[in-house]
Amino acid sequence: MAEAVLFYLFAAGVLAGGSQVVLRRNPIYGAVSLVGCFFFLAGIYVLLSAHLIAILQVLVYAGAVMVLFVFVIMLLNLKEEELGELRFTFWKVVGLVAVLATAAVIAWRALGPAYPSTGPARDNAILLAAEGFGGVKAVGRTLYLAAVLPFELTSLLLLVAIVAAVVVAKGKI
Amino acid sequence: MVDFFHAHQAQHYLVLAALLFALGAAGVVLRRNAIIVLMSIELMLNAVNLTFLAFARFPLVANSPMQGGFSQGHAAVFFVIATAAAEAAVGLAIIIAVFRSRTSVNVDEFDSLKL
Amino acid sequence: MNFNPGDLYGVLPALLLAAGALVLLTSEVFLRPVEPDRRYQAWVAAAFAFAGLWASLAQLGDPAQPLFAGAAVSDGFAHIVAAVVCAALFLSCIVAFSYLESLRATRGEFYALALFSASGMCLLAQATDLVVIFISLEVMSLAVYALCAYLRRGKRPAEAAFKYFILGSFASAIFLYGAAFAFGASGSTRLADLAATVRSGSATTLVYASAALLAAGFAFKVAAVPFHMWVPDVYDGAPAPVTGFMAAGVKAAAFATLVRILVSGYGEGGRWRGLIVALAYLTMLVGNLLAVPQRSVKRMLAYSSIAHAGYLLVAVAAMGTSAPRADAAGALLFYLASYGATVIGAFAVVAIIERKLALSGLGDDLSSWAGLSEKHPALAAAMSLFMISLAGVPPTAGFMAKLTVFRSAIEADLVPLAIFGVITSVAGLYYYLRVVVYVYMVPEAKADAVQGGRLLSAGLAIAGCALIVLWMGVLPGSFAALAQSGAAVFGR
Repeated sequence: MAEAVLFYLFAAGVLAGGSQVVLRRNPIYGAVSLVGCFFFLAGIYVLLSAHLIAILQVLVYAGAVMVLFVFVIMLLNLKEEELGELRFTFWKVVGLVAVLATAAVIAWRALGPAYPSTGPARDNAILLAAEGFGGVKAVGRTLYLAAVLPFELTSLLLLVAIVAAVVVAKGKI
Repeated sequence: MVDFFHAHQAQHYLVLAALLFALGAAGVVLRRNAIIVLMSIELMLNAVNLTFLAFARFPLVANSPMQGGFSQGHAAVFFVIATAAAEAAVGLAIIIAVFRSRTSVNVDEFDSLKL
Repeated sequence: MNFNPGDLYGVLPALLLAAGALVLLTSEVFLRPVEPDRRYQAWVAAAFAFAGLWASLAQLGDPAQPLFAGAAVSDGFAHIVAAVVCAALFLSCIVAFSYLESLRATRGEFYALALFSASGMCLLAQATDLVVIFISLEVMSLAVYALCAYLRRGKRPAEAAFKYFILGSFASAIFLYGAAFAFGASGSTRLADLAATVRSGSATTLVYASAALLAAGFAFKVAAVPFHMWVPDVYDGAPAPVTGFMAAGVKAAAFATLVRILVSGYGEGGRWRGLIVALAYLTMLVGNLLAVPQRSVKRMLAYSSIAHAGYLLVAVAAMGTSAPRADAAGALLFYLASYGATVIGAFAVVAIIERKLALSGLGDDLSSWAGLSEKHPALAAAMSLFMISLAGVPPTAGFMAKLTVFRSAIEADLVPLAIFGVITSVAGLYYYLRVVVYVYMVPEAKADAVQGGRLLSAGLAIAGCALIVLWMGVLPGSFAALAQSGAAVFGR
């Protein structure tokens, strides 16, 4: 009961925040609504029993990444006329809604037969509750024991990103 | 509505993810502001994360053949979050470089390259 | 714990390249900020690239074995691709040395990023897990984006990097959505588990959706039509040595991964073949057609790289049949090696001309190539050789490569595709030979010699490329044998 209500609430928040990103003219409004969208998504992740990922979502995405975005938007300090006009005519919005509706219908049709048509799908969160599915321990064990190579590669990736960002943002070469 | 949700729980999450992905893709295609395009890509990556998590909780196969089982979906999301952060850092650095060279972040005004 | 330190030996080339990058980054700290201090950097980078080349060739004979519990694999195919990448890096470092020196832009970060991206390419060729593929792809791509924006002269490089970045990240997101579907269908991100699901025939909708999304993501990276829009601008805007490295290295790694995903992940049914055949037709046609009106040599080479992606897709399509796959895989590897050597040489010549243009303030146009043969006969001869090789005329590497690819296509019952490939490559003769005509037959309007500087190292690299191109064209035996030994993993 509560789960259903929360899902629809959070889903509405996610879609509202996401569409604001696409529709707003000023990037700062887009960034702030994106933060909201990420918070609602974190709620959805909790509903999916992905507790660790939900916290990471808030800390890394809504926290670190979005602060970076807001920082750059402020750094660039765009003037009103530099934002460019927003060419969203009535028909473009209608087209966007049509695209979304089509995506929803296709996804529903395509994914419908994959799961049993009657009764709920197999639910890992209930089956694996004893092992702490989605908790720090379960995900941590997977990360450090079963996903060694991608974990190590991520460290390489972060180093490359640091060097690349420094090189690109340098004043003059 | 509550019964409908419980009967098709997995589909609800997956359709939400598909919607978010389509929204992000529309933002990349329609918007011209570089920062908003970058944020739309973040939306797409989040849609992917939602898909991974939905499949990790409501799997289609009885057992995951991988060590770590369906937690691998959570691990994948972990890596995607790290990658998205790295990508955002480099992307914003490139936007700053472009801005420095011509003081506009409007993709339309990037005209020194022919289409 | 299932971490086996021995697995690190399997990824030795990537480790060596990353170590080289770290050495360069660290050494930068101890330098005075003056140009002559930095001369050694290109040679350190080249030395590490050579070490990577040596390591990948040394591992060639080892039996194929999974690494890190199946997340990656050490097999001949990956080693050959790693060898191509390392050789491309080696040559590009030497070209970049004189290029950066003349622009007073030598920095350790340039070579460090090139080494990092090469290390990502080597890992990409070895990865057999969709998450590992994604992370390696990002390691490669982030470094290459930064290399494109490395020179901040004018607005073009940064804009090219931006365009590349946006479309590249878009492609990565699409690829990742496909990976999520594959995870849903098989409960795993390993290609082997995905193949088992495909064989069992369950969850077909998800399997098809994932195949389409993964292929679309990589079609961007290999620059297949209709995902090619970024290529001309990026190749044009990036510094010429970087463009050469991108054309050779990124293409090799991306094609290797595409083959790995399609054959190891979706292979048995071969239903993806129709998709690849359609992409190959489109790519060969559009790439060759759009190259014809180009007057800028760099843009012409960009469209030509799209056309070559089409010929490589022919080899990929030929792997989707029951005919011996190893032949087609060998043809693919041979083509990647020959295209890499040719294109790095061509862009090295372009780099020299580009410096001359930068000094004289002229635009990049065919007319600036007029009369090159009188002042620099060796340079003119090398450029003509590379053009002839790209066009696929004997006795060059390009001819042998096209021959093996089309032969494998005919063996795989793709005769119309092979015939179409031959027709389009004949059409390609026009725009390649036009460069040769300008170099030899059109007299120059007013004389201004190429600014001397340090042409020697670029000349060395060009000579090396020309030697490889001729060697692969005249005596392809040893290279073909090497490619076949690498392709044997797909044999049956």
